[in-house]
Amino acid sequence: MDLNLEHADKQSSRESEQHDPITQKIINLAQLKPKGISDKDISIEMPDLQPIQKAQAINKLLAQGFFDLFKQGETLLYKLKDPSKARTAKGADNEEKIVYTIIEDAGNKGIWIRDIRFKSNLMPTQLNKILKSLETKKFIKAVKSVAASKKKVYMLYNLEPDRSVTGGAWYQDQDFEAEFVDVLNQQCYRFLEQKRDSTKDYLNGPIAEKNATFASSKEVWKFISDLGISKVKLSIEDLEMILNTLIYDGKVEKMISSDGSNFYRAIRPLLDSSGLVKSPCGICPVRKNCCDFGDVTPIKCQYITEWLDL
Amino acid sequence: MSLIFEKLCKNLLLEHFGLIIQTVASDMFQHGPRTLNQMKVTTKHPISKIKESLCVLIKFGYVVYEQTDRGIVYTLDVEKVITILRYPRYMYFVKTFCGDEAEMMLEDVLKNGYERASQIIVKTYQRLEQFPPERRSTVPVLKEKFDLLVKNQFLMRSLCSNTLSDVPTDKPDFNMPSLNVKALTRLIQGNEVDAGDNNIYWKINNDRFTQDLRDQILVKSIAKRIDDNAGELMRQLLYLMYLRTASWADTSIPIPVTEIKEAMKKNFPSILPYLDQYLRIIEEDSSKFIERVGDSGGGQYSVNMKEAFHQLTWVVLENIVMERFGLKAARIFRLVHRHKYIEQEKIQQIAMIPAKEAKHLTYTLLEENYLQIQELKKPGLSTAPTKIFFLFHIDLNQVARMTIEHCYHALYNIIQRRDYEINSNKRMIDKQLRMQTLTSNMKEHGATEEQLAEIAEMMTPSEKLQLEKVQERIKKLGANEFSIDETLFILQMYIRYHR
Repeated sequence: MDLNLEHADKQSSRESEQHDPITQKIINLAQLKPKGISDKDISIEMPDLQPIQKAQAINKLLAQGFFDLFKQGETLLYKLKDPSKARTAKGADNEEKIVYTIIEDAGNKGIWIRDIRFKSNLMPTQLNKILKSLETKKFIKAVKSVAASKKKVYMLYNLEPDRSVTGGAWYQDQDFEAEFVDVLNQQCYRFLEQKRDSTKDYLNGPIAEKNATFASSKEVWKFISDLGISKVKLSIEDLEMILNTLIYDGKVEKMISSDGSNFYRAIRPLLDSSGLVKSPCGICPVRKNCCDFGDVTPIKCQYITEWLDL
Repeated sequence: MSLIFEKLCKNLLLEHFGLIIQTVASDMFQHGPRTLNQMKVTTKHPISKIKESLCVLIKFGYVVYEQTDRGIVYTLDVEKVITILRYPRYMYFVKTFCGDEAEMMLEDVLKNGYERASQIIVKTYQRLEQFPPERRSTVPVLKEKFDLLVKNQFLMRSLCSNTLSDVPTDKPDFNMPSLNVKALTRLIQGNEVDAGDNNIYWKINNDRFTQDLRDQILVKSIAKRIDDNAGELMRQLLYLMYLRTASWADTSIPIPVTEIKEAMKKNFPSILPYLDQYLRIIEEDSSKFIERVGDSGGGQYSVNMKEAFHQLTWVVLENIVMERFGLKAARIFRLVHRHKYIEQEKIQQIAMIPAKEAKHLTYTLLEENYLQIQELKKPGLSTAPTKIFFLFHIDLNQVARMTIEHCYHALYNIIQRRDYEINSNKRMIDKQLRMQTLTSNMKEHGATEEQLAEIAEMMTPSEKLQLEKVQERIKKLGANEFSIDETLFILQMYIRYHR
């Protein structure tokens, strides 16, 4: 904290070298009172200052973006802005500043250009220009959202985009890494399967045998991390997402233990593959057209012939 | 009843009973319950032929009749007709349960529809005589086997008679008449004697077979999911269920643990130390075949047939979706099942499938009617598409029925194809048959090796090759019919329990 303040002080002092003594004094005063200074404070500190001079100096500071204006009760308060922010906004005109604050408020979730337009009431062409200029100055950046590939959101340049924008570990640029997910899916299953097979011929009874086949999500996570297939650092939650897909593949079941952590185990299916799909008619893509007459009939059927000649 | 189902039934009847019976049956198919005269008008067969056909169909149990003011009305029981498909499985089941002789006896009953016990025994004896001596059996052994079949209720009394006065009752009758073994032996020798069972005919007990096949599926599933011990336990539980519960009840009357223990001690003692644990595992398994219903008497369990077939049907359908549309589609299918109602966006997120692929698969499933869509509008808002939620869900009953139709279609196609393969190679198959009979005849008359070789040469090598190929094809088609029926059976059970 102290360091930061010092840093800020240095910065502001360096900048204040360019100011005339009056404004410099006001800035120094404001630095002493981080809660803001009123007209009265200035008059007390600098009794010889003419009201016109004072107004000129404050207006200048406001225009340069050094001060924020607040109204507390009946009195006006001037508060020194965060020097870093003041710096970035410098050299930009008012519209740019407004757009900048709107984008700043959106945080690391970013904001869509349409929403900026509504909030700022600027014309689309003008807004585009402003955004472009801010972008070239590296104040803001545009990030493509994974939710909609054509939707760009704007956020401050130095921010790390939120997971909802980038999609987390599963997205590289804007593309979902299906292959990566598939590999993890297979590896997780392999781990659970090995765990199940290693408990065969367990001597302590079937329940103990069943319990031994369970692996916690942490164990799986450790296995996957040790494998080193992932360049990205995965969290346990990421891995639980993968394990959930295995549940939906019908290969794994989940148990929630008493301390709230999740356990998983590989299961065998209740039935072998259905008899219907062993038949060429079970997986026939043109079954709707199949009848006794016409081009698709069981007697002429190419699929059945191929299957018979296997 | 769908068109394809009708076609399948007709096909089965044609294959097993011939053209006239098929036309009579299809008349009932098209018009529902019919009187004799009505059938005469539409089928244009002579009345004697129709009567004969009806007689056969009634004796086989495919047609039921009823006295009304219009006269006697005949109705086709289509559910029974479709069980023709299952006869090979019945025979296999009996073979493993009661042995080869019993299988032959059952085959005899299946072929004739109904038969006297003495006739069955005599015929089986005569058939066995053709086998080498170590496979033959004596008359008392055969009689015992027949008793076993009746005791296990695989066979029951056929209560049809030639006079109208005895309208068959629903109550099954398993009383075994006392058969005279001596008379049986004399019958075999070709004498006309009364073996003590005149007018007592036997037919197969379809219901019993259906239950056995049903139980077999449950036992197999548990054995596959957990292990063989658990499978054996399931078998005993089902047996205990029979003792106290009506055969088609949804759930069994609670079975106390003490009784299970007693049964296991008798039949499968090695499981005893872990009995409680196995019960808990089966109960806790997601298959939900049994449930704990009370704590009295050391705990009570009940078998939940309805739920079991609910779960099995899901497994079957998931599997079909996987085979037809791939692993990812099956993932989506299960996901929708688990969440009941879910939005497209959520599906791709949870299933971790790229958006484009997820959409494609979801809408393919929707198109094929495996998924249904539910629109949800906020009341009073405009009908702009962005204001509506589209939720995906699965109507299990509908999907199950659709898949049953699919099974019928596949069965029909496979049977059609098999008939075609047989017919188009009929000449060759006949030739081979003729050669076989010729060879065996010649052998009996003491033909020389040279003569036999000469007969064998009547078929060219290419013909032999072709014949082999055709027989392979027919076998494959037949086996396929069998496996489609397995799927069909589970789905039919589901419909039966969830009507």
